[in-house]
Amino acid sequence: MLRCPGCPRAPGLRAMIPFIVRRLVITVFLLLVVSMITFAIFFLVPRLAGQNSYQLAVQYVGRNPTPAAVHAIERKLGFDQPLVVQYGRFVRGIVLGAHYDAGPDKTYCPPPCFGYSFRNQQPVWPMMLSDLPVTASLAFGAAVLWLVFGTAIGVLSALRRGTVFDRAAMGIALAGVSLPIFFTGLVALELFSFKWPIFPNVQYVGLTQNPLLWARNLILPWTTLAFLYAALYARLTRAGMLETMGEDYIRTARAKGLAERKVIVKHGLRAALTPIVTIFGMDLGLLLGGAVLTEFTFSMHGLGLFTVLAIQNNDLPEILGVVMLAAFFVVIANLIVDILYAVVDPRVRY
Amino acid sequence: MKRRRIFPFAAAGVAVALGLAACGGSSNKSAPQQKSSAYNAAINGVVNPSSHKGGTLTFDLSSVPDSTDMGNTYYAFMWNTVRLYSRALVTYKSVPGAAGNTIMPDLATSLGQVSSDGLTWTYHLKPNIKFEDGTTVTSQDVKYAVERTYAKDVLPNGPSYFKLLLKDPSYPGPYKDKTPGKMGLTSITTPDASTIVFHLAKPFSEFDYVAALPQTAPVPPAKDKGANYQLHPVSTGPYMFQSYQPDKQFVLVKNPNWDPATDPNRKQLVNKFVFNLNVNADTIDQNLFHNFAQVDMAGTGVQAAGRARVLSNPALKANADDALSGFLWFTYINTKVKPLDNVHCRRAVEYAADKTAYQTAYGGPVAGGDIASTVMPPTVTGYQKFDLYEATTKPHGDVAKAKQELSACGHASGFSTTMAYRSDRPKEKATATAEQQALSRVGIKLTLQGYPSGKYFTDFAGVPNFVHSHNLGLDIGGWAPDWPTGYGFLYYITAGPAISPAGNTNIEELNDPAVNSMFDKAVKTTDTAARNAIWSQIDRRVMSDAVILPGVYAKSLLYRNPNLTNVSLQQYYAMYDYATLGLK
Repeated sequence: MLRCPGCPRAPGLRAMIPFIVRRLVITVFLLLVVSMITFAIFFLVPRLAGQNSYQLAVQYVGRNPTPAAVHAIERKLGFDQPLVVQYGRFVRGIVLGAHYDAGPDKTYCPPPCFGYSFRNQQPVWPMMLSDLPVTASLAFGAAVLWLVFGTAIGVLSALRRGTVFDRAAMGIALAGVSLPIFFTGLVALELFSFKWPIFPNVQYVGLTQNPLLWARNLILPWTTLAFLYAALYARLTRAGMLETMGEDYIRTARAKGLAERKVIVKHGLRAALTPIVTIFGMDLGLLLGGAVLTEFTFSMHGLGLFTVLAIQNNDLPEILGVVMLAAFFVVIANLIVDILYAVVDPRVRY
Repeated sequence: MKRRRIFPFAAAGVAVALGLAACGGSSNKSAPQQKSSAYNAAINGVVNPSSHKGGTLTFDLSSVPDSTDMGNTYYAFMWNTVRLYSRALVTYKSVPGAAGNTIMPDLATSLGQVSSDGLTWTYHLKPNIKFEDGTTVTSQDVKYAVERTYAKDVLPNGPSYFKLLLKDPSYPGPYKDKTPGKMGLTSITTPDASTIVFHLAKPFSEFDYVAALPQTAPVPPAKDKGANYQLHPVSTGPYMFQSYQPDKQFVLVKNPNWDPATDPNRKQLVNKFVFNLNVNADTIDQNLFHNFAQVDMAGTGVQAAGRARVLSNPALKANADDALSGFLWFTYINTKVKPLDNVHCRRAVEYAADKTAYQTAYGGPVAGGDIASTVMPPTVTGYQKFDLYEATTKPHGDVAKAKQELSACGHASGFSTTMAYRSDRPKEKATATAEQQALSRVGIKLTLQGYPSGKYFTDFAGVPNFVHSHNLGLDIGGWAPDWPTGYGFLYYITAGPAISPAGNTNIEELNDPAVNSMFDKAVKTTDTAARNAIWSQIDRRVMSDAVILPGVYAKSLLYRNPNLTNVSLQQYYAMYDYATLGLK
């Protein structure tokens, strides 16, 4: 990197600690607000629309519910309590844990306790934790692919602007952005899992269970997901590179005799990285909350599929839990992005 | 049943249920026909009979079980599946065809011995039947299992027949039971370790069908974990739980303490069953075609894309069965919403409806089913074919007769009403649109109103006050029985006492004293043939009342993986019999 005698140095990690602490405190308040809004949407709004607690309880009593059964569930799930009390119990569970009446005895749900699923009466937090590796595998693997290929294609397209390569790459990128995942995913499955069984029987296998099978079964979901994002990143990188490669300092670097590769990577790409880092943080954070369409298409039991089922079943503890977890990931991802800004761009101060 | 597939049971396609002994204990006169693979071969025969052992059999399911706990589940596919790891007092025969509706002893030595007043039913347990841990099953374990069904706050999903029929409806369930050993349900007595006696509040001649519910599968009290019992129910069947990840997968392995000599109904052939949950429905069909899985656990048939592929490919079609599912898709005609409170106006609807369009809306003859003319489908014991409104002879409707009925009810130029349907069910929407057009030919103007299926019965069509205030004269629905008799099918959709203020299933609000008294008479009639005749009489009376517009006797196109052995359609469950399957 060019040394600038008068330019400020990049801040050390120590200098950023107060900034990080402030952001973490804000994160807690943000998650509280998110939980309140989610609770209001799924519980308060139906009440305002006229649904009573009996009608809500009927959904969780199976078929031909008798009034006695409905009232029992109403009491068990706390629907007969004021909404403020129900919400208070939920928050208390996250902080202090909660006891649950499973029948013969009470079970203890340690903090963070997001309650018990209305549908299958299992604790929500362990269910989310067991789904997290699937989503994480999907998200990180695809992220590596789209970052590497997307930025590489974007750089090459920028350097070969107007050529056949540039036009072809951007055309494919446009297709990638336009085609929905449930289309590309199903086509990928049909071709590479069923018609030509290169990747037969795509099911999630744990990394520690069988690393090779884990990777093999994730190749189709990774490439499907990465295809969409790589397209976006290619276009973004190309635009950023075109802008930075036209700057005066690039001309100066070339004039000073620096190798072209150094000029492109160390000076051009680095400067163009800032918006890419921003977007990457957001994208990864959102994906960790669940790659809904990809998981649904490939029947992978991650947080995305968990979310869909929770909403379909109107299972409030599951909905609240996954929304808060997803919000947490987004907030933390943004925090990491902000920290990385300081590394990438020494002009950034906190 | 009001929602998708609870207890569908398939017929052989020919109505043979009349005269079939509902409580028969005799075995079939001839062994099931053994067949090689061909279209519909598994409906009346066993395809790929084999005693070959070994392998892992994979089931895929597009959703999740409501519970794997035998006392807490109410879906037909689960009642079929739990037979792999549990045994009830009595069970349905694992044979193809109409004989599959016959119940036979399972844990018990015989069907119930009923007292002369019809109030006491006694069962004796077979000796030395063991749980998976080697302990012997006792009558108290069966009693405890039934007691659990009263704990609706912990186990809310299963049916409530024991609470409805036995003498002690106020029993709070074993988790609030303070008596020693938690045996506080007084309406069940266990004079010794192998005898269990049920004391009914009123005679109920079909109690054996209630005893066939998986809720009578024994549960050892010391091993009961309430809501968490579903994670590992203690087995009495040929297989037992190895693992269960909720919403993802459960695995069954061989139960070493299952004795085949006591259980002619089941087989222990494969080494392992793997049940994959929440698999994309279209992927399931592909998995079946490519042998990544062997059974679609839901048993409701292939999806639209898969169906097109099966029917157009002779090799695939030879592995398919188009079976009656036991469901009737129909429309309720409400008797309290004017002018449908007049029977002639209701009959006008019956005559004017386009039954072919109804069938087409549900997918045609193969995917949808056969045009229906009765409330009871052919799969139900007691079914008799009749056709009061020319559904099968004039399937596009009889406009002239409809207009005559309209004149008789004082609305010669027609009337207006609202038709409710489940908005997230494309077939019901298509049906509503088709019938709106059909009925308009005689001046009956329908306003169509869709409601979400999850709340259809709890908040909308199943709430009489809502129906009245919103003028829902016609309401689309479907039903399958809890057990394959007229009572099991008809009671909750046509009996007056079944009307309830919410979650109502007698949506037409029929409260016909003649129908109600026929039900009362039937449940006291111990002679099977006489009882079956009453069901048919009820069916005819209900159709004469014109409170139900039958649509189609539903069918499902099932695909049987060619690697499966001993494949046959179990009539009661209306899907392949899971208790007999093996692998080549």
